[in-house]
Amino acid sequence: MNKTFGGVWIFGDYRDYFQNRITLQLIAKGRELAETLNTGTTVVLLGDQIHQYAMEYVAHGADTVIVADHQNLKEYEVEKYTTLLAQWVKSYQPEIFLAGATSFGREFFPRLAKRLRTGLSADCVDLEVDPESFLLVQTTPAFGGELLAEVVTPDRRPQMATVHPGVFRELPHNAESVGHIIYPEVDVFPEPRVKIVRSKPQRTGKVSLEDASVVIAGGKGLGSKEQFELLYELAELLEGEVGATRPAVLSGWAGEDRLLGQTGKSVNAKLVISIGTSGALQYITGIQGAETVIAINRNPDAPVFRIVDLGLVADAATVLPILLETLRRRL
Amino acid sequence: MNIVVFVKQVPDVPNIRIDEQRMTIIREGVESIINPLDCVALQASLELREREGGCITVISMGPPQSEEALREALAAGADQAILLTDSAFAGADTLATSHVLAMAVSKLQPFPDLLLCGMQTIDSDTGHVGPQIAEELDLPQVCGVNEIHMDGHLLVLKRLSEGFLDTIRVPLPALLTVSKDLCPVKNLSLGAVEAAFSQKDIIRWAAHDLGLQPDEVGLKGSATHVRKLRPPADRTGGRIVTGSPQFIVDALIHKLESMSILDEEDGNE
Ligand SMILES: Cc1cc2nc3c(=O)[nH]c(=O)nc-3n(C[C@H](O)[C@H](O)[C@H](O)COP(=O)(O)OP(=O)(O)OC[C@H]3O[C@@H](n4cnc5c(N)ncnc54)[C@H](O)[C@@H]3O)c2cc1C
Ligand SMILES: Nc1ncnc2c1ncn2[C@@H]1O[C@H](COP(=O)(O)O)[C@@H](O)[C@H]1O
Repeated sequence: MNKTFGGVWIFGDYRDYFQNRITLQLIAKGRELAETLNTGTTVVLLGDQIHQYAMEYVAHGADTVIVADHQNLKEYEVEKYTTLLAQWVKSYQPEIFLAGATSFGREFFPRLAKRLRTGLSADCVDLEVDPESFLLVQTTPAFGGELLAEVVTPDRRPQMATVHPGVFRELPHNAESVGHIIYPEVDVFPEPRVKIVRSKPQRTGKVSLEDASVVIAGGKGLGSKEQFELLYELAELLEGEVGATRPAVLSGWAGEDRLLGQTGKSVNAKLVISIGTSGALQYITGIQGAETVIAINRNPDAPVFRIVDLGLVADAATVLPILLETLRRRL
Repeated sequence: MNIVVFVKQVPDVPNIRIDEQRMTIIREGVESIINPLDCVALQASLELREREGGCITVISMGPPQSEEALREALAAGADQAILLTDSAFAGADTLATSHVLAMAVSKLQPFPDLLLCGMQTIDSDTGHVGPQIAEELDLPQVCGVNEIHMDGHLLVLKRLSEGFLDTIRVPLPALLTVSKDLCPVKNLSLGAVEAAFSQKDIIRWAAHDLGLQPDEVGLKGSATHVRKLRPPADRTGGRIVTGSPQFIVDALIHKLESMSILDEEDGNE
């Protein structure tokens, strides 16, 4: 197999580079998969003046970066990206092609998979190569996450998947890494029909749950907005950030930017303290990246206790004030 | 403006239970509903028809009982409903599903101006079907739309994408997938009562009506295979503590100390 081009491809999603680490996470996972398949890892990168990202990807472990650097590719545009990548897939024939399950990844990857008449699984939480069949086993939540489905693409190629951000860990930056960066000739594209006339950043405040080392997560069991507010105080005392389950967000106790889980953010924290949450899988997906999970729930049978390092069976309304009082005294 | 809305009948997922032995979902006693985001798409189509005129066609691929979803959509105000049902369609992944749906659209006279999907379903949750219909019909697509306006023959849209609010222009015909923020959904289930009495007929097309061969649809026409369903893996070794509130707080503080998140206390103050 040709190691230079590499059978495992990763879509280089560089927008908002310092927040959006998915490409680096995929390179790390891609290397593992490529090793089993005895091939290499390639990032495909489309954009305008993006050489610096190609270097970054090599430093984070990519064997090859294939770059289309063209002023005509400045915006993320579904139609152009699909056309160009379909051409590249046909000429280089990768085995596997992965993208982050970001808004853009989830918008253009289905279209690309359809054009290539191949399979695609959505928002995977795990990937591995089956040691017997050498097929890519794509683990994806089904039925709202009650179950995990192991999906394979037996006959068609490439095997494509979008991957939930935060489930894999990136490799450290290594300036000594060596990789190939190649610039194939790029055609000029017809103007796309979809025109993005304006793109305004909407970041409200600066809630960076992905980077926080302590996350205090609250759920419906807190019972009221007043109770939920106590979490901010706890987070402040422990120098952490506050996250929330979907019902807590829907009740208006926290903004959507604090949502954890399959449809929200995933943490990389050292510690998550999960309070008044039942532990539905859609939510657990968001906190499983934490090194340590502590949960407080008054129901000893709550599913959340199955995934904790320390489970505290208690009424949050009683325990929180005592905890805050104790911490305030100490700090 | 002629609009097609794709609706899927799904189990009311938050209420499903799992058969732990066989790793399947227990559907008995669980209500089937229209996928919530498809209700948003339907509501948006009603508002667009109000402003622009035209006709709304709802299309669903599924087993015969998906008729209920279509009857509800008719009761809510859709003009025409098409049920794509055939035993050969069973087991379809998004590649095969989008093929059947796209073939149904290409049979419509005249070709619709606007195609609306939900951004994703609550049972399979892929969000692939919309973009894949657009690809097959060579239409422009925009996903996750939360505002729709018309400016002459152009659609002017807003959508949130990774913390950016995009303003987008796109000519008709086009396919959009809608987010929950597009519009509030009026209570469609009220319509369900009326639906039982709806006089309108539902059009039914099977594979041969769409000129489809059995190997292009359903399980055979699918590229992906679900090899196994399994429960999420559990972490093990967790310690569960019960006791008085003070005891609980002490256990927590002790853990924080052992992780060096809190400094150890000297003991006597
Ligand atoms: C397609 C899909 C996607 C989803 N995506 C997400 C997602 O991304 N993120 C997400 O969070 N959810 C998501 N959900 C919803 C998810 O299934 C659960 O409904 C949700 O996570 C439950 O939130 P919760 O734990 O706050 O509430 P509940 O399930 O209501 O749990 C409350 C818990 O609090 C406990 N409790 C009650 N009172 C107290 C008290 N006084 N002290 C201590 N404990 C108490 C109860 O015992 C219970 O366990 C999704 C659902 C679907 C169908
Ligand atoms: N069987 C189906 N029949 C009609 N529409 C569907 C079907 N499956 C998916 N859709 C449409 O595609 C959207 C996205 O579905 P999915 O890709 O399954 O998450 C849904 O919200 C529907 O609008």
